[in-house]
Amino acid sequence: MTNTPVILTRDLTKSYGSSAAVQELNLSVGPHRITAFLGQNGAGKSTTIKMLLGMVRPSCGEGTVLGKRINNAEENRDMRRKVAYVAENKPLYGYMTVEQTVRFASSFYSDWRADVARRLLNEYKLPPERKVKALSKGMRTKLALLLAFARHPELLILDEPSEGLDPVGIEHLLQMLVAQAAEGVAIFFSSHQIAEVERVADHVCILDNGHLLVDASLDQLRQSYRRIDLVFASAPPEREFRITGVEKIQTKGHQMRVFASTNAEAVIQRARDLDAVSVEVAPVGLRDIFLETVKEN
Amino acid sequence: MLWYKAWLETRSRFLTCLATLTIFCAVFVGHAQGLIRPEWKTDYNRLLFVTQQFVVIMWILAVVLLGMGGIVRERAIGTSSLTLSLPVSRARLLGIRVGMGIFEAIALAVVPWTTIFLVSFLARMPILISQVGFYVLLLLGGGSAYFAMAVLVSSLVEGEYTAPAVAFGLVLLTAIVFDAWLRPFNLWRLVTGDFYIDRHTYLLSGHFPLLGTLASLSAAALMLLASVGVIQRREF
Repeated sequence: MTNTPVILTRDLTKSYGSSAAVQELNLSVGPHRITAFLGQNGAGKSTTIKMLLGMVRPSCGEGTVLGKRINNAEENRDMRRKVAYVAENKPLYGYMTVEQTVRFASSFYSDWRADVARRLLNEYKLPPERKVKALSKGMRTKLALLLAFARHPELLILDEPSEGLDPVGIEHLLQMLVAQAAEGVAIFFSSHQIAEVERVADHVCILDNGHLLVDASLDQLRQSYRRIDLVFASAPPEREFRITGVEKIQTKGHQMRVFASTNAEAVIQRARDLDAVSVEVAPVGLRDIFLETVKEN
Repeated sequence: MLWYKAWLETRSRFLTCLATLTIFCAVFVGHAQGLIRPEWKTDYNRLLFVTQQFVVIMWILAVVLLGMGGIVRERAIGTSSLTLSLPVSRARLLGIRVGMGIFEAIALAVVPWTTIFLVSFLARMPILISQVGFYVLLLLGGGSAYFAMAVLVSSLVEGEYTAPAVAFGLVLLTAIVFDAWLRPFNLWRLVTGDFYIDRHTYLLSGHFPLLGTLASLSAAALMLLASVGVIQRREF
């Protein structure tokens, strides 16, 4: 089992005129794991994915996907044989029926699994004879996911995969992601649904304004991020807590809340040294980590 | 399956154009029923020549419509990311679309003229198959530039309706410009057979205009190559 990154970028940048959509992105996505790619709208997630798939040319920097250079058309085409991609708006040809769409997609990939496609058609209750343009948004999303899941790619790239799905559909999607990862497929997906990400992701990358702010395993984030609530007898000495790892400090009366990405122990020790009346330490969920990270940026 | 996709994308446009052209030709030359006297043969040939003018107009409109589409249009309707994620080069995507367009353009030239041939035969005013072949080859050889121009426009101009509007505008513009200032090189007159018609018999005469056809085909090839270049450089 090799540990070569499935996605590797170095200073990858995309500018549109004077504004940069992605800036000097250094990304390394490991194999056999689920990596979540988080960011606000317009953070540069879709542009990054499009650069990886050769739809958009980087302004500078370079990158490889499965060892193939993204800005080399031939290598990129070879790479796409081994990558399954579900785009943000779940594009499908409206003039094709469900069955034609499945048949069309299957003809391009040697890793197509007809049995899985049939099973998913049944599970998703997709009417084979119906034209794609007559499908509901949720059905279209399911069909787009089917086209990806019916393969056995080395890398699965999903852009907002749960958009348009009902809770049952989302649950099924998450199970499929875990099952695919268990089969050795590397998964790289963008999402705004933090709760879903927390359930399945092994690794999290947070992008904001084109910059990569966080690139760590979910376990690592959970272990290192802490919210520390402090109460002092007098006005809290906020300045004393501006140390490495402290991302944010909120003060209200005699109370102070410290948000630390690392170094929580040092914060606690300092609070004790400064005679804090109360020290409460709580783990931080991914949602708060995300919100605090992008707010700070 | 890309051929299948190209067919599904164009079939309604193609079949509509084919049916319109064929019905028009059948009805137009149906007048031959009243032209059965031998001395009216010239009138019938003239009718065929006039028919070709209308066939050319409709054929050009049809191939411009068939030249529309491709991944730039897909970008406008949101499906380009699916097409571009396929393990297929952009040149191949364009090549197959052009290939399908060429097949359909050939059918749009051959079927109406075959209909004319059959209707004439049934109307007891048989026409020479060489005349039919001449008209068809003029249409395909000379008209190829219009199809290639439509492909180039569809590679440059985004928008479901903007691209056809620009393409039709260019067809009109070239017709005006060539007729006003470049009459000897008028593509329209080449395609309709106006340069080669004998005004006494209304039969196409002389050698097939290889030079004119070659010029049109070369222009078409250049425009198609330019389209490939544009598509390969474009961002989606």
